[in-house]
Amino acid sequence: MGLQIGDTSFKDRVQEGLKNDFMRQAVSSAQGRLRNGRLSAAEELGDWEDWRTLGEEIRTHTMENLDFYLQQLSEQVENRGGNVFFAETAEEANEYIKNVVKKKNGRKVAKSKSMVTEEIGLNEALEDVGAEVVETDLGEWILQLDEDPPSHIVAPALHKNRQQIQETFENKKGYQKTDKPEELALFAREQLRKEFLSADIGITGCNFAVAESGAVTLVTNEGNARLVTALPDTQITVMGMERIVPTWEELDVLVSLLTRAAVGQKLTSYVTSVTGKRLEEEIDGPDDYHLVIVDNGRSKILGTEFQSALHCIRCAACINVCPVYRHVGGHAYGSIYPGPIGAVLTPLLDGYEDHKELPYASTLCAACTEACPVKIPLHEQLIRHREIIVEKENMAPTGEKVAMKGYANWASNPAAYKMSAKMARMALKPWTKHEKISNGPGPLKGWTDVRDFPAPSKQSFRAWFKERQKGEQT
Amino acid sequence: MKVSLFITCMCDIIGSGVGKHTVELLEKAGCEVDFPEAQTCCGQPAFNSGYLQDSKKAMKQMMRAFKDAEYVVGPSGSCVGMLREYPKVFRGDPEWEEQANNLAAKSYEVTQFLVDVLGIEDVGATFNGRVTYHPSCHMTRVLGVKDAPQKLLRNVKGMDLIELPLAEDCCGFGGTFAVKNSVISGEMVKEKSQHVSETRAEYLIGGDMACLYNIGGRMTREGKNIKILHITEVLNHQ
Amino acid sequence: MECAATVAGIGRMQQDELVDVLEKQCKAIHTDFKRTTIAELPQTVEETVAVYGKKIITAKDDRNEKFGLDLLFDRLRTGGEEVHVWDSKAGKENQIIAERADVGINFSDITLAESGTVTLFNNKDNGRSISLLPENFIAIIPKSTIVPRMTQAAKQIHEAHEQGHMVSSCISFISGPSNSADIEMNLIVGVHGPVRATYIVVDDGD
Repeated sequence: MGLQIGDTSFKDRVQEGLKNDFMRQAVSSAQGRLRNGRLSAAEELGDWEDWRTLGEEIRTHTMENLDFYLQQLSEQVENRGGNVFFAETAEEANEYIKNVVKKKNGRKVAKSKSMVTEEIGLNEALEDVGAEVVETDLGEWILQLDEDPPSHIVAPALHKNRQQIQETFENKKGYQKTDKPEELALFAREQLRKEFLSADIGITGCNFAVAESGAVTLVTNEGNARLVTALPDTQITVMGMERIVPTWEELDVLVSLLTRAAVGQKLTSYVTSVTGKRLEEEIDGPDDYHLVIVDNGRSKILGTEFQSALHCIRCAACINVCPVYRHVGGHAYGSIYPGPIGAVLTPLLDGYEDHKELPYASTLCAACTEACPVKIPLHEQLIRHREIIVEKENMAPTGEKVAMKGYANWASNPAAYKMSAKMARMALKPWTKHEKISNGPGPLKGWTDVRDFPAPSKQSFRAWFKERQKGEQT
Repeated sequence: MKVSLFITCMCDIIGSGVGKHTVELLEKAGCEVDFPEAQTCCGQPAFNSGYLQDSKKAMKQMMRAFKDAEYVVGPSGSCVGMLREYPKVFRGDPEWEEQANNLAAKSYEVTQFLVDVLGIEDVGATFNGRVTYHPSCHMTRVLGVKDAPQKLLRNVKGMDLIELPLAEDCCGFGGTFAVKNSVISGEMVKEKSQHVSETRAEYLIGGDMACLYNIGGRMTREGKNIKILHITEVLNHQ
Repeated sequence: MECAATVAGIGRMQQDELVDVLEKQCKAIHTDFKRTTIAELPQTVEETVAVYGKKIITAKDDRNEKFGLDLLFDRLRTGGEEVHVWDSKAGKENQIIAERADVGINFSDITLAESGTVTLFNNKDNGRSISLLPENFIAIIPKSTIVPRMTQAAKQIHEAHEQGHMVSSCISFISGPSNSADIEMNLIVGVHGPVRATYIVVDDGD
């Protein structure tokens, strides 16, 4: 599947999203819950702003010394009997993982939820070598059965309702019970338990790798990541190269921020830190361990004005407050990374060509920036993207370019400006009725399709002010 | 105290009444208000759309216009927020960096100026009616002014101030967004309109006319009877 | 930076306050909470197990003897219940037994009051499966293991690592039973891991 999902245009995807009433209702109520959860968890913690600042400092420091920490991490993992592979591209990562699976003669791969494996399209790659891949996160499993991409980075099946899930289970797995969430989940538990016990390869992502000791930390609620790391004899961790913290002390801060920002929990049910191979005489855990560190465009972002996008800890707080996401849903973004962070990250990882609408899918209301637990200036980065699209990539529509040229001349020339202030009311007169415009011309049309536009004042402010001054003098 | 009014192009041309109330309000607070005529637009429409070079032309004009001002005060959180961003835009520019820093440091949104600079929280206004207040995104999150308008409004006599549900949600304006992504913008303003209706307010108050035109324009389109008011109009009311 | 929770001192009162914090948090994470003494611990465990089922799996842990659980397990076995103590020599059989067990019992190594978290340093005598595969989980929490929050546990692990101690191959921070909100954001308690959990805090007088 890879980073990009679907091949319809942004406009069509937005329309699709807007038509989907269930999805919009579901997203809206999920946003409400998640947002409130985050706010109350932040309040309980007390000095949330201090925590955010600390989080930002840790991420900045780590990115500035990424080489060092990646080196330290690999050494630690190797010391504990693990193999470390740096993959520059998605293909390299998939190739390496396929080879491990082939070498082990792996038949069944149990996976726990991981965005980076979605990004590199690992499941399809593994199917190429004849391995059966089972997603074990409840949401991901539902999507896998339904061949549907995720629409949210924390709650991937947010857009689906219980009837749809019941239907999927029935059609694909012979489920016979009701659409009660408890019964659906119990069914998934029973089905997937068998898969865990028979899987020979386990693959997880990584929330944070601790450089000092080589521990890969997985933050989950369902327990599937624990099963995936405990039972299969071969274990592969796939991590984006930025998902690293220097020591356990920084891990504490970032995990505390992550669980609160993502789901409003003090900690999730399971925070699991696994290091390399199982030790001698241990039964659980892998006897063959691989850490695949994926670049796939990330190192290109280092040292640029977008570096802080790499600070992202994938909590989705920005998505949960985004009013645009609320209305159009995750799939409209056409990327496995939706919402504000998706609009920032997707063009960086996959270029502007297919994603040039994303930076404009925001009112720049800055709710995302305010919510981000590591203070990524998301709305400012969207503006940077727009600058590149306009000034470097030259992808802006001609009409817009002409209009902006005109704007610049107008706004830098007080006489022209003054004239327009005088003329505006008259110019819009043909469309004005009862002091409002309901069917505006040109660029006003988009506006007046849904709302009225006010008629310009009879007298501009500057004209009034001048008159008033004169009056005062006489 | 000498104050130079930054009217904003929107209030200069479309909602000139806001400027009159702002001037009177500042004068009541003891300020001497002047109006530098060379001012135009803050540059935001181009800046937020990615036309950095075009936006700089506007910004330079603004820096020239307010070069000698002691304080620059404007009736818009968003446009003043833009002035406050100038230092980032001109960082490292030998010709303009200092002026950008200078303008940003002396620029205030009008309620921010009253409360934070003049230390006034009660302007002695009276306003009878049921009202609700929409805190615009750029005022609260870009400029960082959250308390000042609330403090001033709470001291207005006679007013029934109803809390707006999900007040800090964007109304869907977003500058060129309202035109470029008008469909999404439309959905957002419908939702905001719904929340305003829930308050059963007669007046919707805000600190940014653009957002008020967006919400008000939607509400009149829906046939809803509500009047939009810039906060200065309420604070200047006796 | 100093956060309120990180500067809490260790004193007798403090420890009792932490138990209260833990008890309160247990409600939020759908976990039953019990307090007991060393003398009464075997009985408390017995009562809890009676609700959960007859097949028990537990770690090979020195504390079993210290806290009188060895005797309890012997008694339960004579009463017809199956009690399996993790035995590294039995290999994968341990996992099979864990999968069939009704309840897994673990001592907490560090307990985080704020989040209601028991920390397990899994090793050859304390398999990861114990707290994972059975439907029910009992954590025995010596009061002395309770610290304010994750900060203290992270510091302890960091310092141990710096002093050259090998970090456990798996450190499990467990906060109550497993859960999911993947279906219409409804919280479902009990997904892949245990469905029910009980924490038993023992006053170990330390």
